[in-house]
Amino acid sequence: MVAVLLIVVPLGLAFAMPLFNFVSKHIAGYIPIAAMLCNLILSILLLPSVMENPQIVVLGGLSPPLGIHLVAGPLGVGLSGLISLVGLAVSIYAWGYIKQGAQDKYHALYLLLLSGATGAVLTGDLFNLFVFYEILCISSYALVAYLGDRNGVESAVKYLIQGSVGSGLILVGIAILYGMFGTLNMAQIAIHIKDVDSPAIFLALVFLVTGFGVEAAVFPLNAWLPDAHSTAPSSISAILSGIAIKVGIYAVARVLFTIFGVAAVFQYVLLLGLVTLLVGEICAFSQDNIKRMLAYSSVGQVGLIVFAICIATPDGVGAGLFQLVSHALSKAVLFLGVGYLVACSGSMSLSSLNGIGKRMPVVCFACVVAAFSLVGLPPFAGFAGKFLIIRAALAGKGIFFTVLIGIVLLATVVEGAYFFRMVQTLYFKDAKKQIEFKKTPASASIPILALVVLIVALGVYPDVLLPYLKSAAADLLNKAGYIKEVLG
Amino acid sequence: MTLGLLLIVAFGGALLTYLLGKISSKLRDVWAVLVSLAVLFGTATFYGKSVHDALSYKFLGLPLVLRTNELSWFFAIAICGVGSLSIIFSLSYIKNRERTDFYYFLMLLINASMLGIVFAGDLLSFYVFWEIMSWSTFLLISYNRGNALPAGMKYIVMSVIGSAAYLVAALSLYAKYSTLTFSAISTQMTTASPGFTLFILILGFMVFGIKNAVVPFHTWLPDAHSEAPSPFSAVLSGILIKMGTYGLILFLYVLVGFNQFSQLAWKAISLQTVLCWLGAITIVIPTFIALMQDDAKRLLAWHSIGQIGYIILGIAFGTSLGVAGGAFHVLNHATFKALLFLCVGAVEYRTGGVRDLNSLGGLMRKMPITFIGALIGAFGIIGMPLTNGFVSKWLIYKTLILNQNPFLAFAALLGTWGTLLSFYKFLHNIFLGQLPDKYKDLKKAPTSMQIPILLYAGIIVLFGVLPGIPLKIIGGFVTSFGLTPLKINLWGIVSETGILNTINVSMAVVSAFFVAWVVFAFAGRSVPTTAQDTYAAGAQIPQDKYQYSVEFYNPLYRMVGSYLRDVIDEFYGWLARVTQMTGELVRRVYTGDVGDYVLYIVFIVAASIGLKIWWPT
Amino acid sequence: MIVGLYTMLTKKNLIKVIIGLSLFETGIHLLLVVVGYIQGATAPIFSKTTGSSAEMVDPTPQALVLTAIVIGVAILALALSLAIRLHEYYGTLNLRKIRELKW
Repeated sequence: MVAVLLIVVPLGLAFAMPLFNFVSKHIAGYIPIAAMLCNLILSILLLPSVMENPQIVVLGGLSPPLGIHLVAGPLGVGLSGLISLVGLAVSIYAWGYIKQGAQDKYHALYLLLLSGATGAVLTGDLFNLFVFYEILCISSYALVAYLGDRNGVESAVKYLIQGSVGSGLILVGIAILYGMFGTLNMAQIAIHIKDVDSPAIFLALVFLVTGFGVEAAVFPLNAWLPDAHSTAPSSISAILSGIAIKVGIYAVARVLFTIFGVAAVFQYVLLLGLVTLLVGEICAFSQDNIKRMLAYSSVGQVGLIVFAICIATPDGVGAGLFQLVSHALSKAVLFLGVGYLVACSGSMSLSSLNGIGKRMPVVCFACVVAAFSLVGLPPFAGFAGKFLIIRAALAGKGIFFTVLIGIVLLATVVEGAYFFRMVQTLYFKDAKKQIEFKKTPASASIPILALVVLIVALGVYPDVLLPYLKSAAADLLNKAGYIKEVLG
Repeated sequence: MTLGLLLIVAFGGALLTYLLGKISSKLRDVWAVLVSLAVLFGTATFYGKSVHDALSYKFLGLPLVLRTNELSWFFAIAICGVGSLSIIFSLSYIKNRERTDFYYFLMLLINASMLGIVFAGDLLSFYVFWEIMSWSTFLLISYNRGNALPAGMKYIVMSVIGSAAYLVAALSLYAKYSTLTFSAISTQMTTASPGFTLFILILGFMVFGIKNAVVPFHTWLPDAHSEAPSPFSAVLSGILIKMGTYGLILFLYVLVGFNQFSQLAWKAISLQTVLCWLGAITIVIPTFIALMQDDAKRLLAWHSIGQIGYIILGIAFGTSLGVAGGAFHVLNHATFKALLFLCVGAVEYRTGGVRDLNSLGGLMRKMPITFIGALIGAFGIIGMPLTNGFVSKWLIYKTLILNQNPFLAFAALLGTWGTLLSFYKFLHNIFLGQLPDKYKDLKKAPTSMQIPILLYAGIIVLFGVLPGIPLKIIGGFVTSFGLTPLKINLWGIVSETGILNTINVSMAVVSAFFVAWVVFAFAGRSVPTTAQDTYAAGAQIPQDKYQYSVEFYNPLYRMVGSYLRDVIDEFYGWLARVTQMTGELVRRVYTGDVGDYVLYIVFIVAASIGLKIWWPT
Repeated sequence: MIVGLYTMLTKKNLIKVIIGLSLFETGIHLLLVVVGYIQGATAPIFSKTTGSSAEMVDPTPQALVLTAIVIGVAILALALSLAIRLHEYYGTLNLRKIRELKW
C-alpha cells in the first residue's frame, strides 16, 4: 500500500497543480518540496521492511497476466529514496532559481518527471515500465526547452527525436516478448524464457537494451546528452544527470539481469560501458563550456557504472550501485552550484569563471568537494565507489580484467586533469573583469550544503550503505529469488 | 596517547587553525605553532615503542590498522621537525599575503596526512592519507598563482597516475590474499611467484618513484618546488618526496622482503641492478642540469632530484651499510635542503621576491645569519666532513666500493663534484661578490626566520659530529629487515675495512681550518680595492653592469648545455598534447546533426545483431 | 517502420523528420496489433451476437497500442510546438543548418 503512495502522491499533486495555481500564484513552488519530502519519509520508513521480502502490490485486484504488479524490493525502494532525496534538494533550489516563465507548469512537469522515475523503479511489469519511462522522458523533453532560448529549443528537438526512436525500439522489443510469452509481467517472462530458444529472443534483447540505452546514455546513443544537459536550466540539468540517466541504467539492468541473464551479453555491455567511459572523459577534457564539460563527465560516469554492474558479481553490482548514488549526489551539487556561478558571471565559458571563488565561497567550496568526490579522492564518497569497483573487478578475475581496470584508471586520470583544472580556475586564476557579488540565496545554499554533508558522510562511513547494497544486488542478480518473491 | 589520538589532534588542529583565522590572525599563528609543536612532542613520546592498533572503525568491511615501529618513528620525527620549523618560518614569510588561513590550514593538513602515512598499518589507510596529502599539496602549490598553476597541474596529474598504479597493486594483493594489513601480507608474500612479486614491485616503483622524483618520473619537481611558497618548498623537498622513499622501503623490505627482491632477475639484469642504475642516473644528470639554472629555487629543486638518487642507490643496493646510508641521507637531505630553501626564502622575503641568481650578490654582510645557514647547508649537501651529509655519503661510497661496483661509485662521486660546483655558484651569486646598489639598505632576516635556520644548522653539525644518535634508530630498523646488523657508536660506525670515527674526523677538519686561519691572519696585508679598479683605457666603468655573478660557468654551459635538455619532460609534454588532440578528434563524433545521431542508434542495433550472427560462440 | 526510420535519417527538413517519426511509431503500433492476431478470429468485443472469447483476437496488445498512440500524440504535439519555436529563432527548418550545439 505504501509503495502505491510513493507513486500516487507526486502524480496526483502534479495533476492538481492548476487547481493550486487557481488558489494562489505563489504556492506552485512549494508543492514539489512537499511531495518529495513525503516520498523521502515514506521510502526511509519502507526500506527496512523490504530488505528481505519485497512488498508486492497487486493493482486493481487482477493478478498477472491480466493485471500489473508493483514490486517494492530493496533496489526499488532504495532508488526511490535516492530519487526523492535529490528531487527534494533540487526542488528547494528551484523554488528560488526559477523566476521567469510559466512557473506552475515547470513545477507540474518536474513532479511528473519524478513520479515517472519513481514508478519506473517500483514496477514489476514491462509495459508499465515503458509507460512510466515515457512519462519521465516526455517531461524531460519539455523541461529542457523550458527557458525557451535558442539552444534550449534546439537541444530539446534533438533529444526528442532520439528519445522517441529509442522508445519505439523498446516498444518493438515488448511486442516481440509479448508475442512469444503472452504476458507482460517480468517475473513470468523470466520463468518461461529458458524454455524458448529462438533468435527472436536475442532480437528482443537488442531492441530493449538499445532503447533503454538511449536514455541511459551509453556510447554512441548518448549524443543528445551533452546538448540537453548543457542547455537546460541548471536545476533540470541536475535532475537529468542525477536521476533520469540512472533510471535508464536501472531499466537496462533490470532487463538484462532479470529477464535475460545471458553471460555473453554482459561482456558486450561491459565493453560498451568502457568505451562510453573513455569517450566521455576524453571529450570532457577538451571542453570550454563548463556545463557541457559536466555533461560529458556524466557520460563517463555512466560508462563506469554500467561497467561495474556488468561485472555481474554481487560485489560488482553493489559497487555500481554505490557509484550510482555517489555520482547522483556529486553531479547534483556540481550542476546546482554551477547554475549560480554562471548566473553571476554571465557566461558558461570556463575562462569567465576565473577567480570566482573569492565572491561565492560557499558554492565554490561545494563544487570543489563534489569534484574531488567524482575523481575518487578520499575522504569523499567517490573514493569508496571507485575502490569497490576496482576491488570487484580484480577479485579473482585474471589478467583481462586487470587490463580493463588499467583503462578505467586511465580515464580517471583524464577526469582528474579537467576537474583539477576547474578547481584552479575557480580559485587561483585572476578574474578578467570585475564580477559583482550577488549573494547566493539560502534556497540555493541549503540544499547544496546538505548534499555536500552527505557526500562527506558517505565518504567517511560508507559501511552505512553496505547492507542495502548487498540486498539490492541480490535483488538484481538472484533471478530465481526474484521470481519466487514475486510469484509466490 | 594512542596513535589515533595523535592523528585526531593533528587533523583537528589543522581545521581549527582555519576557523581561528577567521577570528584573529595572531591567535591563529600562535595556535598553528602550538599544534605543530604538540604533534612533535606527541610523536617523540612514541620513541622506542612498537605499537599495533587495529581501529574499531571499519571501512567497507576492511579493518584499518595504525602502527609504529622504528622505521615509522624515524620518518615521523623528521616530518614533525621539518613541519614545525617551516611553520615558525612562515610566521613572518606569509604575514602580508592574502588567504593566510588557507595556507596554514593546508600546511598543517599536509603535516597530519604525512604522519598518517607513516603510521598506517595497512594498505587502505596508507592510501587514504596518501591521497589527502596529494590533493592538499596540489592546492598549496597553486597558492602562488601565475606560473604555479601549470606546475600544480603537472604535479597532480602525475600523482594521480601514481595513485592509480597503487590501487591496482593494493587490490591485486587483496584479491590474492584477502587482506590488506602489512604484517599479514609480508608473511604471505614469501610464497608468492616471482612474476606476481615483480608486478607488484613495478607498480610500487611507479607510484613511489613518481612521488620521489626518480628519473624518469622527476619532471614535475623543478616546476612545483620552485613555484611553491618557500617554507612549503622546504617541506616538499625536505620530507614530502621522502614519503616516496618510505613507501619504497615498505614495499621492498617490509612487504616483499630482501631475499625475494634480490632474486628477481632476467638473465643478468636484476631488478636490483635496474634500480641502482636509475639511482645513479638520477644522481648525475639532474645535478649537472642544476648547474645551469639561473633561478635559485630551481637550482635547489634539481639538486633535490640529484640527492634522491643517492637515497635510491643506497636503498636499492641492499647491503646494511647501503640501506643505512640511504635512510640517513633521507634525514640529512631533509635538514640541509629545508635549510637552503628557508635561506632562499629569507632572501626572497627581504628583496621582494627576487630569486634570480643573476641579479643578487654580496648579501653576506647584510644577512649574516642567513649566510651562515646557507654555508652550512651547502657544506652538508656537498658532504664536507663535520656535517651529517659526510656521514651518509661515506656510508654509501663505502658500501659501493666494498662490493666492487666501481661505476656506481664513480657516478656517486661525479654527483658530489657537480654539487660542489653548483653550490659554489649558489653561495657566490647570492652572498659573495658585489652588492648591487638597490640592496644597500637590506635588513637582516626577521627573528622568526632566523630561529629555524640556526636550528637546522645546529642539527647538521650535531649529527655530523655525533652521528650515533640517528644511526642507532636506523640500525634498529635495518636489522629488522634481515640485513646484517651494524655496529654503531655514538661517534661512528664500524665497517669491515675501518672505523668511521667522526670525532677524529672533526678534530682533523677543525685543526685544518685553524691552520688556515693562522696562516691568513699572519700573512701579508692585502689592500682592499673595489671591483671597478681595473684598466678600461679611461672609459667610464658602469657600476651596475659589473656583476661577476651573471652567467657563472658560461664555458661549461657552452660545452654541455645542449646535452642537458630534459628530454623526458618534453616526452611527457608530447604525450599530453597527443591526448588533447585525440580528444579533439573524438569530439567530432558528435556532429550536431540529428540524422547522424539516429544513424548511430540504428548502427548499434545492426552491429549487435551482426555480432551475434557472426561471432563464433 | 523502416520507411519512417529512413525518413528520419535522410531528410533535412524538421517537419519531414517529425513526419518520419510519426510513420516510425505508426509502424510499431501496427506491429503490436499484429502480434495479437489469431487467424480467423474476430474483434474482441462482447455483444449479443458474438460467441465466446475463444474466437477473439487478443485484446491486450490493442490496449497497449492505445496507450502508445496517446504517447505518440503527446510527443508529436511537443515536437511541432518546438519546431515552431525553432523556426522563430533560426528562420529555417533545415536541420543541417541548425547545428549550433556540436562537439
